[in-house]
Amino acid sequence: MKLRQSFRLSWRSIRGHRLRSALTTLGVIIGVAAVIAFVALGASLQAGIIGDISPDDQRNLYGWAADPDTEGGPLAGAQFVFTQDDMDDVAELTEVEAAYGYATIDAQSVTYGGETSLQGEGLIAAGPSYIRESSIDEGSQFEMGEREAVINPAAAGQFEENVSVGEDLEIQLATGGTETVTVVGITDASEGLSPFEGFESAPRIYVPTDPFYADQAVGPAAGDGDGDDEATSVRFLAIVVESPTADEDDVDAARAAAIAYLESDEADASEFLGEDLAITLQTSTELLQQLEDILDLLQNFIVGIAAISLVVGSIGIANIMLVSVTERTREIGIMKAVGAQNRDVLGLFLTEAIILGVIGAILGTILGLVAAALGAWYIDLPLVYPLEYVALAIAVGILVGVVSGLYPAWQAAKTDPIDALRYE
Amino acid sequence: MGTSADAVTLTDVRKTYHVGEPVHALDGVSLSIEQGSHTAIMGPSGSGKSTLMNLVGCLDTPTSGEVSVGGNRIAELTDRERTDVRGRDVGFVFQTFNLMPRLTALENVALPQLFQGADREERYDRARDLLERVGLADRAAHLPRELSGGQRQRVALARALVNDPAIVLADEPTGNLDTDTEAEVLDLFETFHDAGTTLIVVTHERHVAERAERIVHLLDGEIEWIEELDDVDGDGHRDADGGDGEEATAALEGESDEQVGEPDDRQPEGR
Repeated sequence: MKLRQSFRLSWRSIRGHRLRSALTTLGVIIGVAAVIAFVALGASLQAGIIGDISPDDQRNLYGWAADPDTEGGPLAGAQFVFTQDDMDDVAELTEVEAAYGYATIDAQSVTYGGETSLQGEGLIAAGPSYIRESSIDEGSQFEMGEREAVINPAAAGQFEENVSVGEDLEIQLATGGTETVTVVGITDASEGLSPFEGFESAPRIYVPTDPFYADQAVGPAAGDGDGDDEATSVRFLAIVVESPTADEDDVDAARAAAIAYLESDEADASEFLGEDLAITLQTSTELLQQLEDILDLLQNFIVGIAAISLVVGSIGIANIMLVSVTERTREIGIMKAVGAQNRDVLGLFLTEAIILGVIGAILGTILGLVAAALGAWYIDLPLVYPLEYVALAIAVGILVGVVSGLYPAWQAAKTDPIDALRYE
Repeated sequence: MGTSADAVTLTDVRKTYHVGEPVHALDGVSLSIEQGSHTAIMGPSGSGKSTLMNLVGCLDTPTSGEVSVGGNRIAELTDRERTDVRGRDVGFVFQTFNLMPRLTALENVALPQLFQGADREERYDRARDLLERVGLADRAAHLPRELSGGQRQRVALARALVNDPAIVLADEPTGNLDTDTEAEVLDLFETFHDAGTTLIVVTHERHVAERAERIVHLLDGEIEWIEELDDVDGDGHRDADGGDGEEATAALEGESDEQVGEPDDRQPEGR
């Protein structure tokens, strides 16, 4: 018997039991939808994160000092150990393009043109090259030692009148003081620039660590009172070391040189370093790798649970196929009496199970993608849905059909026509 | 013992079932059924009618002896080959019609060809032709449940004939029909028999059996006697007004099974 005929006959009997077929398929639909939704969401999440790392960012090494046993994301367990002198010296190393501290300065609000906007995120203090020339849309980088700022479009656009280069912003700091900064540049995008910030879009104001961090930093390690001038005695929690290029060898060389220097006696940081405190210097990709690993683990876990529902769905198909075989014993007898071979009968029931599986898989894929699209839209991520998923889902549907239909179809095929014709 | 003109030959066929102790459903049956003939098989329940039907219909194999259908010795065939012979050389008509409930009359008639690998157009042309011949051309698109009992049996007959089989096996074909419908269906059987179809009808009703050319009486798994019936008008075309009132033209004197396999004096016609 030809496949097409087999398909038509099977389709007929599926349509003969619409409700039953629909409910049976539902198990597979839910299973496939759950798997697809979580996989697509996971992929979207990863793409969202990785997509935000600009190629330029690839040559930055983000560093902090923490107990090597500390587990967690960037800055977990970090201590204030790096001084401005350390940074200046690291920047002098031949393997290093630039080095500077990174800090956030708590702020309450920003006032521009008499209008005040809350700025709970604070200011981001870093070196000038933290904002690449290439990502500045208008104006220029700020300079160290100046009361200048580079802001992103979200920060510029939050007032009734857009902030433009050359204007002053008044910033109310969390500690109570007020700083006036001159906007010297506006970036081209509102996403964060490094894993220290996070990559989501938000109004951000970037300022030089000197004088802002030096003035405002407070805390046990901020100044050790040894008589140095304030700007150099302030210690940083986080640092950024830039390699000359994004080339992996250059990045590794810069990392090695920076760590070697910071661990040497010449560095102020070295007095705290030891077994309990080690320097971590990683690129965005490396840092995100940890996050991705965690995401992967979580995703595999969820997909695993979703896959269980797929198994349950398969059992549902197997069950209904067994019922169907029993119900249609007489029909099997008739078919065999008029010349159906065992393989024809086997093919017929297997086709039926596969049709149920494939329909479930296709509808499940559609439902899963819709769910993923809604989810991605809700958490503001680009939806990633590789077309392979659809092909894969259909393959899974066929597999589910074969696995769940094989035994019932075999039962049907080996039915004795004499008994079957007598079956009431 | 069979000749080439025999559609079916059985030679010393035994069929033994083991239900606790051995039961001989058929115990040494020899019988030849000539092509184009019309044979009725009668006997009480348990006489072996069904077993004989199953063997001739290639649904079962004998414990010993030889069954040959359309020239194929079925005991020597694999299950698959037997299914092939069944699909090609045997047409079944059942008491309970046994139509596929979700297929239309046309699709039911076309079904046997499906398993022979015929393509759609060919199948439906042939099926339409046969539906026309059983007078149901206008019912082609109806499902079995939308047809009367007589119509269903006519569809079943059309289906049995669709592969142009060597024999048509009818098991109590009128058992579920009222008297008028029964006559209609039996007339139709005769029409096809006149056109050359070999008919084997299992029945326990005398007036149905009397439409045949001979009646094989089974008892306890053996042929009790074979009753040869004279043809009313000598051309194989029996009067159709039949029913119970049909003159018993049966030769009532008992004939023993020595006569089994004796060539019939009639030639197959319509070939």
